[in-house]
Amino acid sequence: MIARREFLKGIVYVGAIGLLPLNFHGPVLRPPGSGRDFLARCIRCGQCIEACPYDSIRALDITAGAFIHTPYIDPLRTPCYLCQQRGPDGKDRPISRYLRCGEACPTGAIKRIRNTKDVLAEVPEELKIGVSVLNRKICLAWQYDSCGECYYNCPLRDKALRDFPPNEVIVGATGIRPWVDPEHCIGCGMCNYVCPVKEYIARSVMDRSIKLTFFEERYAAMVRNLIGSAGPGVRLPAIRVVLRP
Amino acid sequence: MKRDPGMKMRRVIYLRRLSQLFVIALLIVVPAVTMNSFEWSPSRIVLGHLPPPTIRNISGDTWVFTIGGFRFVHPIAFMDGILSARVIYIPYLLGLIIPLFITIVLGRVFCSWLCPVGFILELNQRTNTLLKRMGLNHELRLPDIRYPLLSVMLLLSFILSTPVVSVIDPPHMLGRELMYLFTHHSVSLTGVSILSGIILFEGLSTSRAWCSSLCPSGGGLSILGAKRVLRIGMERQLCTRCGRCDERCPYNLEPMRLLEDEPGFDWIKCDNCGLCRDVCPTGAIKYMFRRR
Repeated sequence: MIARREFLKGIVYVGAIGLLPLNFHGPVLRPPGSGRDFLARCIRCGQCIEACPYDSIRALDITAGAFIHTPYIDPLRTPCYLCQQRGPDGKDRPISRYLRCGEACPTGAIKRIRNTKDVLAEVPEELKIGVSVLNRKICLAWQYDSCGECYYNCPLRDKALRDFPPNEVIVGATGIRPWVDPEHCIGCGMCNYVCPVKEYIARSVMDRSIKLTFFEERYAAMVRNLIGSAGPGVRLPAIRVVLRP
Repeated sequence: MKRDPGMKMRRVIYLRRLSQLFVIALLIVVPAVTMNSFEWSPSRIVLGHLPPPTIRNISGDTWVFTIGGFRFVHPIAFMDGILSARVIYIPYLLGLIIPLFITIVLGRVFCSWLCPVGFILELNQRTNTLLKRMGLNHELRLPDIRYPLLSVMLLLSFILSTPVVSVIDPPHMLGRELMYLFTHHSVSLTGVSILSGIILFEGLSTSRAWCSSLCPSGGGLSILGAKRVLRIGMERQLCTRCGRCDERCPYNLEPMRLLEDEPGFDWIKCDNCGLCRDVCPTGAIKYMFRRR
């Protein structure tokens, strides 16, 4: 009898803990400039989401518990463009005086960062939102010597992403071997976004209902081979953005 | 006694509807002018086909509104924000000045003149009367728990370091859903269900039940505007005791009580909507600038 009462009590406690608005589904990338006290300062006004010129910032939903409606960046859907516009010469130019999310934030949860030509040259510390990690086992460039899209599209090309690892000797390399420099990487997620090693691209080889662009079509067969040989449980795409430790 | 045709009075409700419609138009126009009209795809980036993005220095809703470099911060948003952050941020403080001044001098005019949810709930009163006629309305009378609710929520914001009022404030929720609809073409289930729940709750209980007994941010504005200067006042010799103002008042405050020498009128709850003034056939009820 007492045991059952204890059990019921336990259920009530666990239920109460579950109802507490503190559970969270996992770490997410916050907009550039968000500091340590971001979650306490963010009043969920949504102005960064509205101000973002590329609509990269999204809001978390009720599954995030107490963090509902806080902004985050999902680089697989839209990466952070760092308020730059890429011209036909491939160079990025600033499109606003400050990074728009920090400019719009009323409470200072997202710090203001000046957006000049030097912002990509100096990379201020508060700009860094994460860091990219590369899995060489499923990377098209490392395995098939054929891709290098992350290297070509990185806003910090030759700094955050290099075409060759600096302290390694690779025999017989002809193409690009992407290597992430964690010192300079911002974690904007552009590499994540353009990386063709994605599940839907692999599936499109058999499933003709998936429409690919010309760019994705080029790599589809190779991606399928790589993902197939890597086996289940591998995290896609080949280059991912993770939070800084 | 008929109203004197010579001193024809302008009805306040037209002005009020105009300002409410203006706020709702802003909630739709602001995200509409800031949105991007095209979709992004990796091939666009790879090929360098990036059209220039739209940048407008205007954003926000009734909670925090930014135009140019200037901000308007809802006073309760400010309290909620500093309690959860435990820091005072100077630009945030500067945005507070004008709204706080308006609230202290003019009272809870946000609720009656600006709040978009208040506007929807005012229109919703027809549903309320319809349901009453059908016998579905239970005339649920709630006690006024706005102040305890607000204090508990602010305490929670302080303890959990999470702005609680900002998450559930209905006008902010409406503005956020409209904004998200334009920027990301989706709405959150939470916001839509809470907003429709409030409207349904209003239909099934007394009219303006949310505003008069539950809304935490409205309660906070009531307290801030308790010592206001703009009030309604009664000219006793003009009053014919027809009782229309008592029927019309959305919060059942009974403006006829102002005839008494020691009026038991709930000044804190009155939000200067001016409905009693409009309905008065002799013009006895007026807006007055005076301290109590």
